[in-house]
Amino acid sequence: MRDQKSPESYTGNMPGNVDVINRTYDCVDANGGMFMLEVKEIKLVREDRKILNNLTASFEKGRVYAILGNNGVGKSTLSYVLMGLESHKDYEGNIFLDGEEIDLLSVSERARKGISLGWQEPVRFEGLTVREYLTLGGKLKLSEEELDETLSTVGLKKEYLDRFVDESLSGGERKRVELASIILLNPRVTILDEPDSGIDIMSMEMIKHVLERLRDKGSIVIIITHREEIARLADEAYLLCGGRMLASGVPEEIVSFYRKLCDSCQHINEPVKEGGLAND
Amino acid sequence: MIESNYEREFTAIAKEYEKSGGNVSDFLRKDIVSIIVSGNKVIGKNTVDSVHVRAKELDNGVEIWIDIDDGTVIENPIHLCTGYLKPEGTQDILIHNHLGDRAKVKFISHCVFPSGVNFTHSMVADTDVGKHSEMLYEDTHMHSKDGGVTVKATYNTIVREGGSFRNLFYLTKTRVGKLFVKMNVSLEKYASAHIESKVYEREDDYVEIDEELYLNGEGSSGIAKTTVFATDRSRAKIINKAYGNAPFSRGHIECNEIIKGDSVEVGTVPELYVTNEKAELTHEASIGRVNVKQMETLMSKGLSEEEATDMIVRGMLR
Repeated sequence: MRDQKSPESYTGNMPGNVDVINRTYDCVDANGGMFMLEVKEIKLVREDRKILNNLTASFEKGRVYAILGNNGVGKSTLSYVLMGLESHKDYEGNIFLDGEEIDLLSVSERARKGISLGWQEPVRFEGLTVREYLTLGGKLKLSEEELDETLSTVGLKKEYLDRFVDESLSGGERKRVELASIILLNPRVTILDEPDSGIDIMSMEMIKHVLERLRDKGSIVIIITHREEIARLADEAYLLCGGRMLASGVPEEIVSFYRKLCDSCQHINEPVKEGGLAND
Repeated sequence: MIESNYEREFTAIAKEYEKSGGNVSDFLRKDIVSIIVSGNKVIGKNTVDSVHVRAKELDNGVEIWIDIDDGTVIENPIHLCTGYLKPEGTQDILIHNHLGDRAKVKFISHCVFPSGVNFTHSMVADTDVGKHSEMLYEDTHMHSKDGGVTVKATYNTIVREGGSFRNLFYLTKTRVGKLFVKMNVSLEKYASAHIESKVYEREDDYVEIDEELYLNGEGSSGIAKTTVFATDRSRAKIINKAYGNAPFSRGHIECNEIIKGDSVEVGTVPELYVTNEKAELTHEASIGRVNVKQMETLMSKGLSEEEATDMIVRGMLR
């Protein structure tokens, strides 16, 4: 169903105005077209090194994208830039969400536009229960049924609601809680930074289920990964090297290219023209 | 039970007590040990078998003795409530707790001073935890909004062989005024202790906390921890000390001061002293703003900076 709401109405609750977080997003743009996230010529430099180098990509509603690449090629940096973290706001280029430029928006404002980041290593919170974390201290109104069902999706029992998100949870458990948090936010754009890190290989089915669920809800899902098995769960894949998108296509082809050339590459972060895939 | 001529006073204190998280109906139950003090009067008291409560009114306060027999295990916590309703004055509270051997008990103490403009509350609690006994002492304070309350609280505790003691002090829901807390615990063989203070400072509040662990017995262990959230023009000085005096004794001290704004003044001094080569002491201290990654995590879920800070601090001070 198309909705003619203005982009502002999606956000509902800008900081300081209201208590309840609105998560009823509609993945259709203001003009009735297909909702998209577009990243144009993003550059980010740190200590004279181009971490992101003219990176351009676009993402469509209801599709899962894998950003594949070796360690240090700029994958996590891209996720922080998309989320608008204060430490990564000094990028050049533009990000458009639903046709609207969002470069000047803060993390909170981007979150309220429907962008959400599942962190690679979820941080601990002393004194906060899983329930408080998932409901954002009660600001996100959720039924017990929703909470139970979502925890079950990520392989946790409802008893976890009363556990603290501190060192008493293992890294893998915190990761599952983080995935549950993302599902409950029902984002328009989901960025998952290494969704499998800290989770055993047996849980691949769980991750697959989470991705399907987000996709079915119409979210753009961007998975940051260096693992081929995870990349294969996507509808499309990008290969990131030297801070730019080196190739894009169906996951199997990109994975094959990655395995063939990137695994043994001697030019980490210095992409060379090989097989016609580098796009200088 | 409440003395009949103090019912109005009890009602006023009860109102503040409930604000601090207490359950007033517990004071009316015959199966719960309770003592309610207002000014220098004991306005309500109840006890059960094997818990002996005695109180003496002083010029400016009350002296209380609580003796718990050996082997006593009390399911319901012992409730202490100390109130002072007038804006000015002083109140001295002396508490003597004696827990026999192999006993297990929890104390919940609330101190409510809702009107203090120029008021000083001095409290000294001497506690003796018997062999292989377990004791938890949780002390929550509610002060006036003017910052006119000064509290001087001293906790002296001995934990006998194999005993366990946990002392928690909270002043997080109201202005502090001026607060001076001194907690010291001496631990005998295989005894353990966890002492912790949590304070939220606003405006020109001032806090001094001094926590000391004396690990005197072989295999004794202890943790002394302080968490302060300092805002506005508040000041804090925290000293955590541990003395490793016995073989295989282990101690850890920790202080976390979270600051908001450029006008706060906070400091922490960790002190570790060892007189036995087999003792092991560690410390951890941090001063700074709220953890950036925690903030970013919550903000990436849609909370504003203010809301994220509030949620993080609320958790830390719980």
